[in-house]
Amino acid sequence: MQFKEKGAILVAVSPQLVTYNKAMKEEKNLSFEILSDPGNQIAEKYGIKYEMPEDLIKVYKQFGLKVDEHNGDDSWTLPMPARLIIDPKGIIRYAEINPDYTERPEPEDTMAALREINWVQFVQHKSGKIH
Amino acid sequence: MSLKDKLDRLKEGFKSKAPQDAQEIMHRATKNLKNSGIMDHVVKVGDKAPDFTLKNTEGQDLGLHTLLSDGPVVLIFYRGKW
Repeated sequence: MQFKEKGAILVAVSPQLVTYNKAMKEEKNLSFEILSDPGNQIAEKYGIKYEMPEDLIKVYKQFGLKVDEHNGDDSWTLPMPARLIIDPKGIIRYAEINPDYTERPEPEDTMAALREINWVQFVQHKSGKIH
Repeated sequence: MSLKDKLDRLKEGFKSKAPQDAQEIMHRATKNLKNSGIMDHVVKVGDKAPDFTLKNTEGQDLGLHTLLSDGPVVLIFYRGKW
């Protein structure tokens, strides 16, 4: 995975139960961790949790999109899709969040953002050397 | 093909096949979410990323602080496989 070249770790967070995350990781042969965020509690801390309106819940049920079953709760809350880069000090250096889940950034955009951040300060901090 | 092109194709397919009223409900929900002001309260560049400890696919606890000790983290919030 390209992100490893920058020394960055890719991690996904989803409100799904561990079993569904595990199934997805295996089906798609994913090499990164997928973490379970029950009830979108962490998504809420990031300000990205939202509640689906009733008419939309009905549509999802009609389409057989079992959000409640996958998440293990009846809240029908979801996280807005978000892509963040966090530096080793825990500061957010890049944030791409879109209320329209049908719009997604190109992976190249995130890679470019990763490259643009000046990581040298952290390399020096860790090892005392410039790589 | 870029991701955008792939998504545009999917959207076109969906528009032509899914029932109109369902599409309207979905569009309205997205529009309302955009207009709700939710984006005023999301985390921003420069903010401290809220720490968390969550279970991975093996049921093991994994903390953001632990991951960050190894380097930068690209964090993706994903809705689900349904």
